[in-house]
Amino acid sequence: MTLVAASEALHARVRRFASGESDESFDELGLALARFQAAHNPRFAALVKSRGARLEALHTVPAVPSEAFRLTRVAVHPPELDRARFLTSGTTTSGQANGEHPFRTTSTYETVALLWGARALVGAERQPRVVVSLAPTPAEPARSSLGFMMELFHNRWDGRSLDGGPYDPRSPERWLVGRSGVDVPALERAAATARDRGEPLLVLSTAFALVSLLDELAGRRIEAPERTAVMITGGFKGRSREVDRTTLRSSVARAFSVPETHVVAEYGMTELSSQLYEGTLPWVELRGESDVLLEPPWLRVVPVDPITLDPVAPGEVGIARIVDLANVDSAVAVQTEDLVRRKGAGVELLGRRPGARARGCSLALEALLS
Amino acid sequence: MSAGGDARERVCRLIEAARVIRDPASDLGRRARRDLVQSTDLSAEGVELALRECLETAPTDAELSELLSSVGPAARAHVILPANVFVAAHRAIALALASSASVAVKPSRREPHFARLLVLAAPGLFEVVPEIRPEAGDALWAYGGDETLDALATRFSATRVSLFARGPGFGAAVVDRAKATREAARALAADIVPFEQRGCLSPAIALVAGDAADALGFAKLLSSELEAFARDVPAGTLDANELADVARYRDAFSYAGTVIPAGPGWVAVPEEHRLVPAPAGRNLTVVATSDPARDLLPYARQITALGVAASADLRTSLAAAFPDARVSDLGRMQRPPFDGPADRRPF
Repeated sequence: MTLVAASEALHARVRRFASGESDESFDELGLALARFQAAHNPRFAALVKSRGARLEALHTVPAVPSEAFRLTRVAVHPPELDRARFLTSGTTTSGQANGEHPFRTTSTYETVALLWGARALVGAERQPRVVVSLAPTPAEPARSSLGFMMELFHNRWDGRSLDGGPYDPRSPERWLVGRSGVDVPALERAAATARDRGEPLLVLSTAFALVSLLDELAGRRIEAPERTAVMITGGFKGRSREVDRTTLRSSVARAFSVPETHVVAEYGMTELSSQLYEGTLPWVELRGESDVLLEPPWLRVVPVDPITLDPVAPGEVGIARIVDLANVDSAVAVQTEDLVRRKGAGVELLGRRPGARARGCSLALEALLS
Repeated sequence: MSAGGDARERVCRLIEAARVIRDPASDLGRRARRDLVQSTDLSAEGVELALRECLETAPTDAELSELLSSVGPAARAHVILPANVFVAAHRAIALALASSASVAVKPSRREPHFARLLVLAAPGLFEVVPEIRPEAGDALWAYGGDETLDALATRFSATRVSLFARGPGFGAAVVDRAKATREAARALAADIVPFEQRGCLSPAIALVAGDAADALGFAKLLSSELEAFARDVPAGTLDANELADVARYRDAFSYAGTVIPAGPGWVAVPEEHRLVPAPAGRNLTVVATSDPARDLLPYARQITALGVAASADLRTSLAAAFPDARVSDLGRMQRPPFDGPADRRPF
């Protein structure tokens, strides 16, 4: 079987699994992906060898450190087969290139993003809604996985013009961050359109864009319709003043005149193909506490010890080893530096692992790669 | 507290104190070896190596004159010491004594011993204090992380306290392919081992002016020299975060390059041209390059020291490109002349 044929078959298996139409177990499919990646990616094979792993059980599959995406290409296929390349955030000031996550196909990404996103943000009724993003219009071709996902949600859950003309997925009426910051009047127009239509408003945003919005509103409120929801993702990375999560959530809820449960955290990484969400919206299927991120059935987060990379005891804090079955052509297991703890049916995100102790003159790898 | 005497006399008293501590037969020398193993996380052999090789006790007159002229006078001088490199206290206090007869020193919480040993060997020369209280006209020498230094800069911005801050940085080695020999690898290992790569002069990366095979060949030589070195000077202890950084470094380059075991650490050769400084511990990244100065330029503000085994032309061009870095032969990166601050970067 050729590489592409083998990849296609695995993508199909993952999509079936995600749709609940498969009898395979998570572990069987994960192991099949790891073996496929080891067979077609010498770099992963080298990692497997260096760790003495035998790929006989999913928990023994070495996780690819997220830094690897910035140090080299993480893919089983050659660059000429790339359909999309999502850039990792990073800096060029240190002379390092940005990393990227190459995709031979985005079909599985789209399937799983819509499946879990709908369960977290939309609900079973699939009622039409007005969807806007506090983000700049994505580049063409898409270079940001977040922008790609937002556009996917616009198209699938709304897909109509906000001003009566033909639907333009790149309309500035829908992408509400420009050079001068958040376009508050456009957000107010979107809210008014939703109210006029009797539909909910769904606002997709990064945390720092919401901070900018709050600054620009200066205490004013958006007149949002009932069942308005705000998806909030990401940190600040020095792009705005920092606001703690609890304060941001309550401030955003107040700005949109909605309960705090309508402000839903999303966790995603460029290095992954799937996302996690809080399950706090009253009308959706996902159910969970605030600050607890729920994994889709095709993704598992395991807190591991940062030194041994072995799973930590239940309830203990570790760094997140993430097995994402939708990472068919890149890395089925990714080792992040995010501190997490299992809680109930999900995980709590507790920030980044601190680098080596601040020894006056030392400079951590982190400082140069992030 | 005022030590009196002229600046040269004060600094010479400090050097004499350092000689006493360096001497393993003296009471203070014995105490230093006992206490520093506890506070530095270095092995006993590592402490001995640092005292023997990196504690400057015999500067030339010219070096001393240069050190004295590198600082201006101050009513009083205050020093906040670093924790990473215990012998750095010696130079830091010398600079303060060169600027004032009244010197107050706040040692690091993690490594409080060396400054106290120095003052025991030279009573009254300076004062060890739990907190510094600079006033207008005073000088403050501070060594630490960016956050600490930023906080100090804010605290003293509206005062007439002169702040001399020394923050994070690292060293780099540059090796010509023709000089990428076992001797060069041995010399570089001698720069890596002291202080377990935690110092601002420690080399975190080596550039080999040549192709990928040259870099890999030199990396193999270096790994065997580091392994051999560890038999004489066992590695110290890394803390949990350092060990985690090493695990991450090892796995990242197992994927994105070649990682060679090097005794207690690892030598990594990236597959692609990525200049990633190695974490603490006996680790080093070795990268092939056709133009070392060009590749290091993005790090110019961080580079404190360049250890060079290269042609005179390349050495000259590096010195011109990095005027604030100390340029030395390999094997001497951790032993800069006692002629002023070890870190010459502007702050």
